[in-house]
Amino acid sequence: MKVAVCVKNAIDETELRTDASGRPLLDGAATKMSTFDKNAVEEGIRIKSSHGGEVVVFTVGGVDAKKTIKEALAMGADRAVHVLAELGTLDSLGTSRALAGAIRNEGTFDVILCSEGSSDTYTGQVPPMLGEVLSLPYVGYARKIEIGAGLAKIERSLEDSVETVECGLPFVASVVSEINEPRYPTLIQIMQASKKPIAEVGAHMLGPAGLSGGNVAVVSMTAQAMERKRVMIEGTAEEAAEKLLQALIAEGVLPR
Amino acid sequence: MTASVWAYSESDSAANELAYVANEIANAVGGQAVTLEMDRTRAGVSSAGEKLVLKSMSAPVDSPELAAEAMSRAAKASNPSVILVAATRQGREVAARLAAKLGAGCISEAFKLSASDRTLVGERSVYSGKLVARMSTPMPCVATVKVGSYPQLKGSEAKVEEMDVGELVPKVKRLHTTRKQVGTVDLKSAKVIVSAGRGVKKKEDLGMVEELAKLLGGALGCSRPLSSDLGWLPEEHHIGLTGVSVRPDLYLAVGISGQLQHIAGIKDSRIIAAVNTDKDAPIFQASDYGVVADLYQLIPALQKLLRARRS
Ligand SMILES: Cc1cc2nc3c(=O)[nH]c(=O)nc-3n(C[C@H](O)[C@H](O)[C@H](O)COP(=O)(O)OP(=O)(O)OC[C@H]3O[C@@H](n4cnc5c(N)ncnc54)[C@H](O)[C@@H]3O)c2cc1C
Repeated sequence: MKVAVCVKNAIDETELRTDASGRPLLDGAATKMSTFDKNAVEEGIRIKSSHGGEVVVFTVGGVDAKKTIKEALAMGADRAVHVLAELGTLDSLGTSRALAGAIRNEGTFDVILCSEGSSDTYTGQVPPMLGEVLSLPYVGYARKIEIGAGLAKIERSLEDSVETVECGLPFVASVVSEINEPRYPTLIQIMQASKKPIAEVGAHMLGPAGLSGGNVAVVSMTAQAMERKRVMIEGTAEEAAEKLLQALIAEGVLPR
Repeated sequence: MTASVWAYSESDSAANELAYVANEIANAVGGQAVTLEMDRTRAGVSSAGEKLVLKSMSAPVDSPELAAEAMSRAAKASNPSVILVAATRQGREVAARLAAKLGAGCISEAFKLSASDRTLVGERSVYSGKLVARMSTPMPCVATVKVGSYPQLKGSEAKVEEMDVGELVPKVKRLHTTRKQVGTVDLKSAKVIVSAGRGVKKKEDLGMVEELAKLLGGALGCSRPLSSDLGWLPEEHHIGLTGVSVRPDLYLAVGISGQLQHIAGIKDSRIIAAVNTDKDAPIFQASDYGVVADLYQLIPALQKLLRARRS
């Protein structure tokens, strides 16, 4: 079984600072593996451990992405393909075309995994677009994946229902966080990861589509305004409950 | 040729919200709003203008895969300027597939959209709601709308047109569907929402939070871990960046730490109140009224007062 897992080296939103006018300081901002991508890597490793084969990690990103790649390799992926591109120069369609090109260059995969969305921009568009670009079956929001002979049975988690679907191999799926508990690599695994191969790919190696697809542009980014009263209420539970109710009544959000 | 703005969602309430947005954008670009439906007209769905029903003789158009294919064929035939899809789990797939099929730009999870000069501009939360990004893309284009960002358009009569999109062959086959839990909530129109977070220790204790919500005349919401990781409540209760956006008069968060992603979905509430044992919990920075207390003591005390007020 050949498993491709797409991961994103995302700006760590908890570390992101803004300047005095509320613009984000993106240059040199700290990055990390996008949160839910760990679930995708974990699922890839689990599929390999029950079916054999290899897990190849794919990422589109700048040089900084190496640390995310190494983390995935430490978790248990076998090798990686790094499409060099600066984040922010591609929209979702561009990213999915780049991933598709890199995946095609590596031959045929049986399973291609992504996570439901990245922790920085959370568009969730790349996984279904990748399915389209590769003309493969696509199942989003998988919470359980069972692979049999040439067929996969997948539980997809929607807002108020769970659908069990079936599709042929190869397929593309996005996974949700409840699918598994991502492992923490051991120190030995982290050290071994540095010996695993990472292939670097430039745009020219991705065929005619290359790194195209820049339809969506970011016009501006500003800090979210959040002005709240921040009144703290103290006292015993009974006193605090009474004070809270009075405050809410005074605000007119509860009837007198 | 007049521009048309299409709107689609598999969920009735989200479809009505999109009808509202489509109408706004159609007015701005001087075009016609069209509500899209698959297979048949749905009685619960309003339309600002026309309804277009997409049908296939070969298969019911009942999955995001087929809806996207049907919509792309219809779009190639009639060139809409903007196609809006509600950002539900299925809607995100429909929109992304459609954008890929049409080679069009797709703005996702927009909570505010405007159109001018053959360009669509959308505002959305990025970096877990820390920042608002304004994105733009040339028409024709696709956008998903963050559910709960706009009011719903109610009850208008529409002219109905049908289009046969030809043969559809699914690659993914649905075997069966199970409901996560019976009962639906309408958090989007609730005036009061009481939301539970991980501070609630057991699933059974949610009963207490729900009862408080009822006493306040409101609905029960939750943070993402309760629905996504623990599965204590269906996803439709989950509020935030990856859940619904709400704008009640009163949002009361109990046992919720107030991570950015949760705040992103409640920032438009009129009054935010929070109960948390940790005086440094970030939720207090985002609240109008904060109570440092154990929810297991404060909720019963609130219930007692509210019951006394009733009688
Ligand atoms: C891409 C992405 C998207 C996300 N989207 C969302 C989203 O849409 N919505 C969302 O909610 N989260 C979302 N999250 C998750 C989010 O980051 C937080 O993990 C989540 O909001 C935390 O939920 P919580 O506050 O209930 O739990 P915790 O952070 O564990 O907080 C529990 C709180 O309860 C308090 N507490 C404990 N015991 C008691 C008690 N007895 N009485 C009172 N208080 C008590 C604690 O002090 C603590 O502050 C997302 C994460 C990512 C990466």
